[in-house]
Amino acid sequence: MGNRLEGKVAVVTGAGRGIGRGVALLLAEEGASVVVNDLGCDVNGSGSSNDPADSVVEEIKSSGGNAVANYDNVADMDGGENLIKTAVDTFGGLDVLVNSAGIIRDRMIFQMTPEDFDLVVRNNGKGTFVTCKFAAIVFRQQRSGRIVNMTADAGLGEIGRSNYAAASEGIVGVTRTVARDLGRYGVTCNGISPMVETRQFPGTVDEYRVASGAPRDDRAGIGQSPPLADWEGPGYRDDPDNVAPLAVYLSTYAAPHINGYIFGVRGGSIYLYSNPAIERSVHKYGNFNMDEMDVLMPKMIGSGF
Amino acid sequence: MGNRLEGRVAIVTGSGRGIGAACAKLLAEEGASVVVNDIGGAVDGTGEATAPADETVNDIIAAGGKAVANYDSVAEYDSAGKIVQAAIDNFGRLDILAHPAGILRDRMIFNMTEYEWDGVLQVHLYGAFNMVKHAVPHMIKQNYGRIVLFSSGSGLGSSGQSNYAMAKEGMVGMARALAPELAPYGITINAVYPGAATRMTATVPQSSRDLRAQAAGLPPPVVDPDGVGDAENNAPKVVYLSSEAGGAVTGQVIGTSGWVVSLYAPRHVIRSIHKDGRWTLDELDELIPISIGRNLTNPMPPAPPRQ
Repeated sequence: MGNRLEGKVAVVTGAGRGIGRGVALLLAEEGASVVVNDLGCDVNGSGSSNDPADSVVEEIKSSGGNAVANYDNVADMDGGENLIKTAVDTFGGLDVLVNSAGIIRDRMIFQMTPEDFDLVVRNNGKGTFVTCKFAAIVFRQQRSGRIVNMTADAGLGEIGRSNYAAASEGIVGVTRTVARDLGRYGVTCNGISPMVETRQFPGTVDEYRVASGAPRDDRAGIGQSPPLADWEGPGYRDDPDNVAPLAVYLSTYAAPHINGYIFGVRGGSIYLYSNPAIERSVHKYGNFNMDEMDVLMPKMIGSGF
Repeated sequence: MGNRLEGRVAIVTGSGRGIGAACAKLLAEEGASVVVNDIGGAVDGTGEATAPADETVNDIIAAGGKAVANYDSVAEYDSAGKIVQAAIDNFGRLDILAHPAGILRDRMIFNMTEYEWDGVLQVHLYGAFNMVKHAVPHMIKQNYGRIVLFSSGSGLGSSGQSNYAMAKEGMVGMARALAPELAPYGITINAVYPGAATRMTATVPQSSRDLRAQAAGLPPPVVDPDGVGDAENNAPKVVYLSSEAGGAVTGQVIGTSGWVVSLYAPRHVIRSIHKDGRWTLDELDELIPISIGRNLTNPMPPAPPRQ
């Protein structure tokens, strides 16, 4: 048990279960007083319950930490404002915001309803904006603060998840922007794209593959891969709690220069993502005509050689 | 004048002015029949007028092309459906959907209101979903379609535009996720990072452009280097993606502004650390500064304290 966040106050959304819970527990272990926010809804956003948030608060208190539960929906302005107010009123301030609340409603575009799209973009995307906004008001005044937003790699092209992909890649855009809006006030805002096993994403990919016959490596014709090395210490490879150390690291004052970056966590691997950049380009002094496009585009894309 | 799009039918949202108008005109020049959609609102999304869409239609018809105006909003699901219906009613099919319609409501995160957030998302991101959703069934029937979503380099981080960044990077995510869903039906979907000096960029004062350049350590921007101010420079790249020849390109982000065409690499892993177990904070404190966190620069560092 450390004291990196002694006297600090943290808000963690979606902290009743999964990744958010792990982050809340580790923040508390490091001395932070934590507002455990969870609407207690289903993975598809329906229903609500106080139990998930309450049980995490109980866990934190029983190991000697400070915590209070909050059940507001961060996707509406009043809910987000009340959540940040809860931190200020209960613990006298706010230093850390971790956005982990999110829902999922996977559908191919052909079946996806406007409601499926709206609920995911609103809960995941707007929920991130609302908490960032009200936290930013506090952070700007005190000239310090830390924000960590959970996002996902769905935005890099996962089938059946156009809503979730839009929300996730949108959160990446929001994270980069908030970093630039608040950097000058001593605040950092970074993103984490986790790959773990939670209620939202049950089972590992390989589990689904077994049913379809030979293991993946065999089907690829490259023989079996060597078995993974044994997992040492607490947890297991797909444990959501593996995300907590990086999230808490980014919530401390260890790295004020890390602002506006996107990280990934999978098992014991931590990744840094590049910012999108121009990979190839073709220049001309003047506007292209269509004949030139027909010749140059396949070459640039790589299918023309 | 070419005939690459002879017999094709296109919808271009927000094509009453700016980049949308330039794209609609070149699509028509290549033989496509175009639904020129524009509600004719102000840059912040308020108000409406029929004149902008009418003007583009008149220009196209005067040049010998085929076009029809439509004034419905992309922001609502049902009214977006009317835009697609306009293509079917007037021209009998739909091959190309380009979605440049957009509004701006810039505000720093701590001041941004729900009105500013919702409005921008509604037109850009929900607009993209609404249009794609209505267009796709027609494209599936034909086993052919071309979709171009207009994203923006602002998604890479531009102070005061968190709503715009959410909408624009969200469209990139949507295009990448939909590419494999639509590929079996001969439909491509790409995102573009356009650029031009239009009504929208004119809302950014020159002084703040100079400040941004200064913060990034760049010299003050020259007026229109490399033709980036000219909306027409975006059109050939968009029309290529909308043509049959563009069928090999899907799920990509293409830069279309100025006298250059570019392919963007998605964010990808550039550094990593590994362990067969959970990291501890002591380990991360020691390791991150010399590994994945080494030499990272804060894009907006705090100012040094005043003397």
